[in-house]
Amino acid sequence: MNRGGAAGAGLGSGSGPTAAAAAAAAQKQKTLLQRVETDIGNIVDNFSHLVNVARVNDPPVRNSQEAFMMEMRAARMVQAADSLLKLVSELKQTAIFSGFASLNDHVEQRIVEFNQQAEKSDRLLSRIAEEAAASLKELESHYYSSSQRSTHPTES
Amino acid sequence: MDGKLEVSLDKLPVKRLEFIEESGVERFPTDVSYDEKKLSLIRRIDFAWALEKDDNKKQKKSTKESSTPWQWQSMVENLQLAQQELSVIIDLINTVEANDAVTVASITRPKPLPTEVLSDLAVSAATKLQCYRHLGKYFKQSAKALEQQVAKEARFYGALIRLQQNWKVKRQRVAASAPGGESFTIDLFDNSITDPTTVIRPSSLSPLRVDHDSAGMLAINVPPKSCHTLCFDFIGAQSSKSSRGSSEAQTEHLEREDGDEPMGDDESVKKTHSTLRNFHRAIFDEQVFDLVNREAYNPSLGVNVTGIEENYLQLSLGQGTSICISLVPTTEDQSVETGGTQKIETAPLSLDSLEGIRSAEKVGCLVKKKTPNHASYEIYLQQIFHDHVFVRSKDKPISAVPRVSGQSAKDGSGLLGHFCMSLAHRIFSNRVLMELEHVVSRVPYLNLMSQPSWHSRTSSWTLYMKVPESILHAGCRKDINQPKHIKTQFRTKIVVTDDCIKVEGEGAPNVVGLFKGTAEDISSINRYDCDLADLPVIILQQVASQVIRWLHEEALMVGIKATRDFLCLSFELEQGEMLSLLAQVDPEDTYGCISWWLVMDDGFSDERKLQMEYSDNANEYRKFLGHLSLDALYSTLMDLVTLCNGGANH
Repeated sequence: MNRGGAAGAGLGSGSGPTAAAAAAAAQKQKTLLQRVETDIGNIVDNFSHLVNVARVNDPPVRNSQEAFMMEMRAARMVQAADSLLKLVSELKQTAIFSGFASLNDHVEQRIVEFNQQAEKSDRLLSRIAEEAAASLKELESHYYSSSQRSTHPTES
Repeated sequence: MDGKLEVSLDKLPVKRLEFIEESGVERFPTDVSYDEKKLSLIRRIDFAWALEKDDNKKQKKSTKESSTPWQWQSMVENLQLAQQELSVIIDLINTVEANDAVTVASITRPKPLPTEVLSDLAVSAATKLQCYRHLGKYFKQSAKALEQQVAKEARFYGALIRLQQNWKVKRQRVAASAPGGESFTIDLFDNSITDPTTVIRPSSLSPLRVDHDSAGMLAINVPPKSCHTLCFDFIGAQSSKSSRGSSEAQTEHLEREDGDEPMGDDESVKKTHSTLRNFHRAIFDEQVFDLVNREAYNPSLGVNVTGIEENYLQLSLGQGTSICISLVPTTEDQSVETGGTQKIETAPLSLDSLEGIRSAEKVGCLVKKKTPNHASYEIYLQQIFHDHVFVRSKDKPISAVPRVSGQSAKDGSGLLGHFCMSLAHRIFSNRVLMELEHVVSRVPYLNLMSQPSWHSRTSSWTLYMKVPESILHAGCRKDINQPKHIKTQFRTKIVVTDDCIKVEGEGAPNVVGLFKGTAEDISSINRYDCDLADLPVIILQQVASQVIRWLHEEALMVGIKATRDFLCLSFELEQGEMLSLLAQVDPEDTYGCISWWLVMDDGFSDERKLQMEYSDNANEYRKFLGHLSLDALYSTLMDLVTLCNGGANH
């Protein structure tokens, strides 16, 4: 089954089949962590700037300048949060598509379930068939030994 | 220049006395230098008019040029004006500076009053507060939007995970320029085919795109009208809507009854599962149809292709039966789909099938179903292809009762042949059964027993005849010490394999057996292969010979020497006379198929018998006894025995 791009589990640490895959996994983990750090640093940084600018200055020009700066920093914060969320969804996707162990377990479990169901259906069908055969035999012997048949021989 | 001209008069350049000192010296103002004179003159000039004039001129110019405004024109004019003013001011300042009388001092802004300071501060603080409030609203808004996005994604991924439990979900990394980012598809194509040489064409349905619908939830992009189901039917038969379609319509109806409120996550996932399952089945049906098509043109198959259309295949099986296999589009709405059945009804009816239906109506007043159930054969067709082409050998479940086993051609090329032969066998065995029942109904002491063979191409029945209880008891009372065990049940087995009928049963030995030795010791099993037309006669002959055999044994048990022929039991009377009990079989006899004759002939030589074969000779006496039951036959036999004994004792 083709699972797309991401190689290996997200938190693999040398447990991959090859050293190259393990190294790639470690590298990917590092990259993700770095992204997380960047984003969080971004948010904290901008927020601290926002708080610092709370002081009211004398010349009004500085205040309007600070107003623009505050807007800009707020936008940056939101953007950092958004990229964090994207990271989270990327991790979710990786988990969906790379959780091989759990997937395989689940698939095998389903296979066992379906096989059992198939066997059960087969048994049910054979039981039905046997019962039908037994009923048919009984009915036939009953009909042919009944008085109705012997008194009306010409009816088919 | 205006009309008004202002004139200012200078003082006369006369030395005027400024003041006289106490000492009497007269002081006169100092002489103004030439430069100073010029400067004072300049000072006196009022340049306001010039400025006004320029302004007027500028206004006139601007009105002239308003037809073609240039966006920077006003700015340029303002700058020019400013430059002029500045130049005037600079000149003035230079003049003043040069005058030395006045020096330009720096002007300091007046110190603001505390109220002004405070109000400025208040305004700034308020502005800043406003700014922060604005920011706060912005943050709240984005937080809400992000939360919604998180929730949507959680639902989406939750649904995707649940789908992934059962289906193959694939991820495609679209290029970064595409707006969607990553996209998911569900691959429904089943590539678990055992035979690697079988090439299955990829279905147009197969990778289904997973999209976000309007609510952001997971939705499957369903191509419309592309889902087909396999439909199997007999030509000329009135087929109802297939059971699968009707049951699906029912479940759809039930779902819609719950109202139009938005479905919860569970229900939508369930619905998606069922949609995917429908598509999966449709792909399987397409593959089966494809394989059927491929096999149908194999000349060794034994069936003929009589009609081809798109998604439609018509085969003739022989025996006047035609079947059609088609792919019918499934519809979503609940109305009865008549497209598929209409197609079947308008197909040309073969004359043979019509005759077959008429002949079926001739037999008996009960309606007998001539054609097997089409739904069961639809399922059978799908099942054999599934089991033998798609299931991996190691995954094959161990079934308790082997359904399709032991067939010679079990590879992919023989499946359709096997199916058609099973179908032909079923139709043929129905006809055989009809004949058997016809015979059995006419012979009261004959019973029919079906023996299911659990094999799709073999059927078997047993006809058995039981000696009545009354005779058995009588027999037991008479001969308790008879070591020989008399058969009290006579069976005839009829086995139909494909379209060969085989009849097997004990009975009177056939002609070959007569030459071999004494008739009594041979309990041979007669085996006949016959066809359908001869079947009733063969069976009746077999049954009659069994009766004759039984009578023969009874006679032997009583002690009478009797000879047995195929359908004739003969007793020897004195003087060489032979008294025979003769069975006559006639399948068309409405009162009974086996009738009995009593024949007596007085021992003439055979040549004379031959000469007088067809004449109604007075030497040969025949009496028609009628259709006798076994009791009557037994009592007749006993009468004959006493007759023989009585004759012997004379």
